[in-house]
Amino acid sequence: MKKLIEVRNLNIAYGGKAGWTNVVQDVSFEIARGEAFGLVGESGCGKSTVAYRLLGYGTINSLVQTGEVVFDGMDLLKLDTSALTRLRGNRIALVPQNPTTSLSPGMRVGSQIREMIATHRALPDGISMERRVVELFALVGLPDVGHRYPHELSGGQQQRVAIAMAVACNPDLLVLDEPTTGLDVTTQRQIIQLLCDLRASIGMAMLYVTHDLALLAQIADRVGVMYAGQLVEVAPCNELLAAPAHPYSRGLIASIPTVDGTDRQAGGLRGVLRRDQISTGCKFEPRCDFASGPCRTTPQVLQPVGDVRFVACMKWREAAVPQTPAGKPSQRVETTRQDTLLSVTDLNLSYRKPGSFDRFFRKSIPPVVRDIDLEVRAGEVVALVGESGSGKSTIARAISGRLPPQSGSVSLNGDLLAPALKSRSVEQLRQIQYIFQNPDASLNPRRRIRAILERPLDHFGIETNEMALAAVLDNVGLHAGYLNRFPDQLSGGERQRIAIARALLVNPKLLICDEILSALDVSVQARIVELLRSLKEKHAVAMLFISHDLAVVQQLADRVAVLYRGEIMQLADTGTLLGDSLHPYTEMLLDAAPGLSKDHYVSHPPAIPTSRAVPGIGCPLVGRCPRQVGSNCAETRPPVRQTGSGYIRCHVPVDELASPTVRPGLKPLSVET
Amino acid sequence: MSTIASNPSRRFARFGAERWHAAPGPFKVGAVILATHVLFAIVGFFWTPYGFAEMGAGLPLSGASFQHPMGLDQIGRDVFSRFMHGAHIVLLLAFAGTILGMVAGTTLGLLSGYVGGWFDEIAQRIVEAMISIPFLALALVMIIAAGPALAGEPVLIVLVVGLVYAPRIARIARAAAMEIATREYVAVAELRGEGTWSIVFREILPNAANVLLVEFSLRLSYAPILIGALGFLGFGIRPPTPEWGLMISENRNLLIASPVTVFGPGLGLASLVIGFNLFTDGLSRMLGQRPVAGA
Repeated sequence: MKKLIEVRNLNIAYGGKAGWTNVVQDVSFEIARGEAFGLVGESGCGKSTVAYRLLGYGTINSLVQTGEVVFDGMDLLKLDTSALTRLRGNRIALVPQNPTTSLSPGMRVGSQIREMIATHRALPDGISMERRVVELFALVGLPDVGHRYPHELSGGQQQRVAIAMAVACNPDLLVLDEPTTGLDVTTQRQIIQLLCDLRASIGMAMLYVTHDLALLAQIADRVGVMYAGQLVEVAPCNELLAAPAHPYSRGLIASIPTVDGTDRQAGGLRGVLRRDQISTGCKFEPRCDFASGPCRTTPQVLQPVGDVRFVACMKWREAAVPQTPAGKPSQRVETTRQDTLLSVTDLNLSYRKPGSFDRFFRKSIPPVVRDIDLEVRAGEVVALVGESGSGKSTIARAISGRLPPQSGSVSLNGDLLAPALKSRSVEQLRQIQYIFQNPDASLNPRRRIRAILERPLDHFGIETNEMALAAVLDNVGLHAGYLNRFPDQLSGGERQRIAIARALLVNPKLLICDEILSALDVSVQARIVELLRSLKEKHAVAMLFISHDLAVVQQLADRVAVLYRGEIMQLADTGTLLGDSLHPYTEMLLDAAPGLSKDHYVSHPPAIPTSRAVPGIGCPLVGRCPRQVGSNCAETRPPVRQTGSGYIRCHVPVDELASPTVRPGLKPLSVET
Repeated sequence: MSTIASNPSRRFARFGAERWHAAPGPFKVGAVILATHVLFAIVGFFWTPYGFAEMGAGLPLSGASFQHPMGLDQIGRDVFSRFMHGAHIVLLLAFAGTILGMVAGTTLGLLSGYVGGWFDEIAQRIVEAMISIPFLALALVMIIAAGPALAGEPVLIVLVVGLVYAPRIARIARAAAMEIATREYVAVAELRGEGTWSIVFREILPNAANVLLVEFSLRLSYAPILIGALGFLGFGIRPPTPEWGLMISENRNLLIASPVTVFGPGLGLASLVIGFNLFTDGLSRMLGQRPVAGA
């Protein structure tokens, strides 16, 4: 294969107050024409720094010490600005992470694409600019949205526009920096599919930077695993996933939650990347299970193992031994039917308060969350799953009392809870504890951990001593040495542990975990899930676990409620839901979640794509549902049908949903490994 | 609880030689000027070459000489002694007034920003009304309203400085509080059922401290001007107390006969204001924010 771009011995340092820090060390790889290469690693490993250098771009405080990036015979690092300008966008294009901030908000998206083509004079002969723009939109699966502004498009559509812009000049290489990280599972899946199609039709090479190995499994030919600025393994994607050779790759793969159920936790990574604690030898040594004396002192470089595979580990033979399945299979302790702890009935929520005008005309405000019935038993974990904007957090806000409901009631232990926070008793407040998504924002940066932990105890009048604090820190996998630190001296995972400790300390009956994993790295996520599981077993605390990630949910939850646009579409036991999903929306979610091997995802086309969902009248899934049965779906509210372990809300009868044969024109999904 | 009240300022307390070297230039120059002023004020409080109200220390209006470096005023008082004794007055009044303004303004502003609603509306309309009046006019109105019993008392000056500053500081504090109120640690405290005061002072105030510290030092730099102006207009401290603004006012008629008599207080006020300004500039750079221009 012909090399398109080759990176040789790249060393990049960042300048800071304390001098230069090496961020990227001796990175070498090449990408062939038309090949998709993935770069993967935890945050802070230098993957984006490398990716931007492929465009000859670096931040002002970074310095390339040695190395070359050879693109088509030219060293990009030696080119001057005007030569780079000709190259960027034209032959090497970038799809940035966040389309909301990368598209100019004050410009119609059509003119943004036109600008790209005009700058590089890349208009093919015999075609007008307007035609070309429409053609590009069609290429990325959009109607002609050229006259719209970015805010008029959804996140997924914005990313499609960004991709259309990147491929406008038929580039040879497309650099993608976490292009789907901010998107929903289903949208993410569509973008990945789009990229695969584009690659096939245009034949460009791709560098795909991500922290998500499961995504790379769907799109990349070869994968480079980065750790602390070094490539530790380069291998064909399927080989890497099947038999990782470097202990780090192995840990990374083991950390990924997948929907197919097997309990992979045993081989996860411990510790976090600390650049100040790196030994002179192998950088991964402090976290490695296979480490021995020589590892600490001998630097490891990439060595070929096999034809197309490179590993930077002297013990790769030991590490590459296929993993024995972790001791116990995922056994779920059947919670015996216990007393209902929390019950939510007929909850309707809206963020707008009716003004005097609305009241005068008896106008009702359409609720954003409708008819929620939910029950959490003592010691049980119930998950709320849905795409962004489906109302998961809104429900949690209402339960915690931060958003008084429009109608409906919430009761705890049989006692009705007051709608507003101010009128709830101290005891009720203590029993429900809330853990927020972002640990950076939920701990007061100006207070020491000790003060952060002691304040709730003091407030609720709970006696405390040093032992109790040490015990709770121990419980979440930290130690008493953390008490005198400030939150900014902790890593993201550690901060989230402190937030969990703070909630546990007051002995709550119910923990509300609002997307508490989404701000964390995969390996850290895996350990927090582990922690939550052990807490659930030890303390019998009930949890309402909010997440967009079905794979995480299946490891933790007893029951799952699937939300779509503010309505519960299905409520079922986790096992039932994953094994026998019934509801069309649940099916869509499950299909979209990437597994650890190429799964040839086929999205189900909606049965009646033209019908529009009207909130509060028909089924919210109308227009997107592959099983829509006609106008009935759009005009009447779907009935609630009881199933074995819960209920679903759908017009299609349960027994019909259970049989896959009625799906018109759909291939059954073939699972290949 | 002592542990809860663990002071965040302890982090800033360790100000060793290392930090001094790392500090920005303006900060160092400002700090040296201010330290000189403080030293001068302390010395002047305990010792002056002549009594500050001692008449006939020499020939009135005889100009600068070795015994009287700043000359003598029209009733024969040694201007340098008066200048030395006056140094502590302007410093103390400026500090006391600004601290009063800070306490009142911060409390009002943080509450207004956090509580919001009608409380915020009313508080902000009052604040706007006060800001819209030029500060000297506002100060004069307050002094006249206070009546003759309080006229010329230091307490009145402190009160006036505090009240003139409070609304301006309240605006800054409100903006900071509104931003901090959206953070999740505030929501955590709310979910715990903490009271408004507790949230404002435990959660919001420590995080607004940087902004408020810069604001404090900025206000401090304007205070000597305000106090000097009041003294100059005859609404300041009662004579014969040698307040610098008053001294300039007393001697300005004799500017031609003995110009040296107004140099001392004029230079003193100017260097104090410059010192505060440089200090503020450096401080805000160290805390990573720009001073609010024209506020």
